[in-house]
Amino acid sequence: MWHNVWAVIRREYLQRVRSKWFIAATVGGPVVMAGLIFVPAWLAVQSDRNEFNLAVVDGTGVLYGELAPRLERGGFEVEEARWHADVVTDLRRRANEGEIGGFIMVDELTLETGEAIYYSMDVPSALRQVTVQTSVARAALEYQLRQQGVDAEALLGGGELQVEVISEAGSDISEPQFAIAYIGAFLLYMVILLYAVSVMRATLEEKTSRIVEVIISSMKPSELMLGKIMGVCAVSLTQMAIWIGAAIALFAGAIPMMIAARPELANLENLRQVVPGAGLMLLFLGFFLFGFLMYSGLYAAVGAMCNSDEEAQQAQFPMIMLLVVPIVMVTPVIQAPNTPMATGLSLFPLFSPILMWARVSGGGVPVWQVALSFVLMAVMVWVIAWIAGRIYKVGILMSGKRPTLPELWRWVREA
Amino acid sequence: MSDDGFALRLDGVTKKFGKHTAVDSFDFEVPRGVICGLLGPNGSGKTTSIRMIMGILGPDEGTVSLYGEDPNVTRRTKVGYLPEERGVYKKMKCLELITFLGEIRGLTRAEARRRGGGWLDRLGLPEWADKKVEDLSKGMQQKIQFISTVIHEPELLILDEPFSGLDPINQDVLEEIVRDYHAKGTTILFSTHLMDQAERLCERVCLISNSKKVLDGDLKEIKAAERRGIVAVEFEGTDTWIEGPEVDHVEQADDGLHLILRDGEDHQPILSRAVNAGARILRFDLVEPRLHEIFVRHAGDGAVGDAGMPSGARMSSWNEHVGPGGV
Repeated sequence: MWHNVWAVIRREYLQRVRSKWFIAATVGGPVVMAGLIFVPAWLAVQSDRNEFNLAVVDGTGVLYGELAPRLERGGFEVEEARWHADVVTDLRRRANEGEIGGFIMVDELTLETGEAIYYSMDVPSALRQVTVQTSVARAALEYQLRQQGVDAEALLGGGELQVEVISEAGSDISEPQFAIAYIGAFLLYMVILLYAVSVMRATLEEKTSRIVEVIISSMKPSELMLGKIMGVCAVSLTQMAIWIGAAIALFAGAIPMMIAARPELANLENLRQVVPGAGLMLLFLGFFLFGFLMYSGLYAAVGAMCNSDEEAQQAQFPMIMLLVVPIVMVTPVIQAPNTPMATGLSLFPLFSPILMWARVSGGGVPVWQVALSFVLMAVMVWVIAWIAGRIYKVGILMSGKRPTLPELWRWVREA
Repeated sequence: MSDDGFALRLDGVTKKFGKHTAVDSFDFEVPRGVICGLLGPNGSGKTTSIRMIMGILGPDEGTVSLYGEDPNVTRRTKVGYLPEERGVYKKMKCLELITFLGEIRGLTRAEARRRGGGWLDRLGLPEWADKKVEDLSKGMQQKIQFISTVIHEPELLILDEPFSGLDPINQDVLEEIVRDYHAKGTTILFSTHLMDQAERLCERVCLISNSKKVLDGDLKEIKAAERRGIVAVEFEGTDTWIEGPEVDHVEQADDGLHLILRDGEDHQPILSRAVNAGARILRFDLVEPRLHEIFVRHAGDGAVGDAGMPSGARMSSWNEHVGPGGV
């Protein structure tokens, strides 16, 4: 038996992995993601480093100490130029000779209003202007506040809000957690549907091209169905492994390197907060696997009972509804994850992949509920395999009209 | 079940689709090592019978056995099956498809690949090994199908309409390969509605019509048994002697006039009548009946166009190939 199943898995896997669509989606996904993050950063790095060499002419005598570290954190190299009558002419000459990229003049007025003059060899990018402007303004503000005895750094850092939950049922959900729950639920919906439909299309193609006759004369329908589902499953896991690997490389490797090289890109660090940890990733894979196994069984049965794409489009409607209902419920469930309704819906096996995920990734779900949802999903996989396997066995060799529900029931009983 | 000496045996096999009986208590054996033709018009139950042999359909009544055993045990490795509707994975490369189909018939991957390559060479398709199946013509796809049917060197080949869709040259190529396999001792069962092809190739035939078996057995024996039925004559002079109680009707054939005798009648009285009438007899020949004539004689002309062939189109396609006077 396994010789056959293995042959089907390998055929399905190689055929799909080699397809242009797979390569485009698998490689294209991370490339686009990385591109969105790196291209602007790369463009910044590419420009002449010379323009980040700044001289600061400090007319106040007190501001340079505040300003220099801020500019350095923003990626500039800073030197202090002493104030004298010809300083502007002098620095202009040095800039023209390429020694420095420009210079900043600060004076007493700067201490009061934050105004300064930035002489630049080129038109500075918006990012560079903002960096210089905020550095100057903050340096001035902090200097002034320190004079008043205020801890400006802590205050300007945005303070700190300690959250304490007082209700028993409530659980706190932060913004990044909400994003993980929400995006994850949508991703689950998309990948489960995408790959389950792949199983349906493959089944339909085998049926309509009649190659299934040759195959079924050499193996049992159940072997073909199992091999097909496992083959597509392997493809999906490959694709996700590549995506996750790329994301890890991006966040663990590339972004810290970028930030080290260009400190002004420190904002990229914030992206990390929406990257789920290893535990959540495993849960995501678990929900995907069980969701895929349940829905691919149903979709295989649909493919086997139909004779054309149009028929299949109509026949898959109940499955689409089963996937859309939890998607509609995602937001309320994330916001109130522990109501009886949220608990009940998320324990229904066909909804679990999306709704239990949404609750778990938001935090605050008892472990036993997660475990129970996996047990229930496993039972459901078995039930679906049993029913769908029977429909598949009859349908795959049947031609003619699509069966009605009573006929389907007879197939299940008699197969 | 025990070994009964037959490669294939059907006992009282019946298949119904709703109210329509597609195959009606079909008894049929194929001895080992013979080429056997399953003949009948479209819609007579050939493909349904073959699908039941292959386990694609389950019989409502009766049993199928292969080599005296449960077919589900022996089918996969001992039988090579070419279905009537030839499906392929269009996006696969030719050699990969052959390899896959060899694999599921019990070969190792490497062996399937090696044999597939050998077959592509033999059929003059080596440059197509890495081309996608969808780029091939229908006829070439059919060759790929045929290769995957025989790649595991089965003991029994079951070919459903193997020659349809092939040009005459490739029909000859295929016929040659079928003869080769026969020479090697392979048992071959093929269905066809082309009577002359069956006549050329088969040692045994089984005629079915309207879901029922009409006749089966050794082709030579059948023909010998049917021989006295037709007399081919060429003559000069009067033709008044032709009409007589023995003669059912007269047909104009390529090799002269055919006198079709009534059942059980002897040709001798006709000859003496002709001599008495003064006709000059150039030829008086007992003709081996053509399969078509045998078929019509047993099934009746009406049977050819009766129930079991729902559409007029199907009947006309039967007539095109083997219709009266066309053989």
